Amino acid sequence: VDDVEETAPKKKKNKQRVLLLSSRGVTHRMRHLMNDLEALLPHVKKDSKLDSKSQLHLLPELADLNNCNNTLYFEARRHEDLYLWAAKMPNGPSIKMHVQNIHTMDELKMTGNCLKGSRGLLSFDKSFDETEWGRLTKEVFTHIFGVPQTARKAKPFIDHILTFSILDSKIWFRNFQILEKDPLQPNGPPQTTLVEIGPRFVLTPIRIFEGAFGGATVYSNPEFVSPAAVRSAIRREQSKKYNVRKDAED
Amino acid sequence: EDAIAKRKVEIDNGPAMARIRESIQLDPSLPWTETLVMTYPHAIDVDVNDDLNREVAFYKQALQGATDARKLATKHNFPFTRPSDYFAEMVKSDAHMERVRQRLLDESAAIKKSD
Repeated sequence: VDDVEETAPKKKKNKQRVLLLSSRGVTHRMRHLMNDLEALLPHVKKDSKLDSKSQLHLLPELADLNNCNNTLYFEARRHEDLYLWAAKMPNGPSIKMHVQNIHTMDELKMTGNCLKGSRGLLSFDKSFDETEWGRLTKEVFTHIFGVPQTARKAKPFIDHILTFSILDSKIWFRNFQILEKDPLQPNGPPQTTLVEIGPRFVLTPIRIFEGAFGGATVYSNPEFVSPAAVRSAIRREQSKKYNVRKDAED
Repeated sequence: EDAIAKRKVEIDNGPAMARIRESIQLDPSLPWTETLVMTYPHAIDVDVNDDLNREVAFYKQALQGATDARKLATKHNFPFTRPSDYFAEMVKSDAHMERVRQRLLDESAAIKKSD
């Protein structure tokens, strides 16, 4: 037996499993986004909602119970703001991001479709390689969004591509179906075209922690303004207009 | 009341992030077929508020990724295209795709009507 092992060295495998769960208080749109990710990523294990937002330290334990070495945790705040934690288990790092502009696969505008459980290609634009946080994020996303060949429900063909692009210091996510033929010329020469499948969302990185859901901060985004602060600024702006008008009346 | 805007403390600990990345990095000798990662050799440089050009930029990135991946797949002798006789569950159900199709038909009918 030993001889066989020596002549044929064990093939190296990319082994990833992702625990996917949310906090309480997610809206239907956030829940649908999670369902979309579950449908697209066959190596995801979905778990029930986490009871308390102050007990993130339970997550590494939960991931361990489910044999997962990655976690995607959606945290809803005030029933309108959504945060996403992408973390490596059990030792970190953890990336906390703010999720905006969510469109799910339910929307009728996106006409693409792909096999349930087919492995998607991952495409990162060049900007990821230009900063240290970008390189780290690319590595973590490669683990989480890349479907390993050995995933139980994975299909052997490639029919979609996930793109991650940095624009305006945010990460934009898109998912396209890869077609071999131009739908307008079904008998023409084979030509690659794409149709968007969805979902869509935009991630603003907020902080990167060294550990799993904790530990020292190694990156914080100076440009990030919390959505609550944005809303209160808008309200203040509106009240200013009102005050000016009232002052003029007096 | 002229409160000075609090300056946020910026943390950008490059060496620590590099160390963390090396600690979790996948084995570089893994074949491409294990990760399927592509890097787009350009940065996306468009106006964020210009929806059309922004989406075109993302489309171009995906198209380049798909084309390059097909070449890589051929090189690795890795199945890429789904044969036309291979059927399996899709992420969107037939009922959903029918609704999508119906919407397209309705739209084109509406355009014809207005002409």
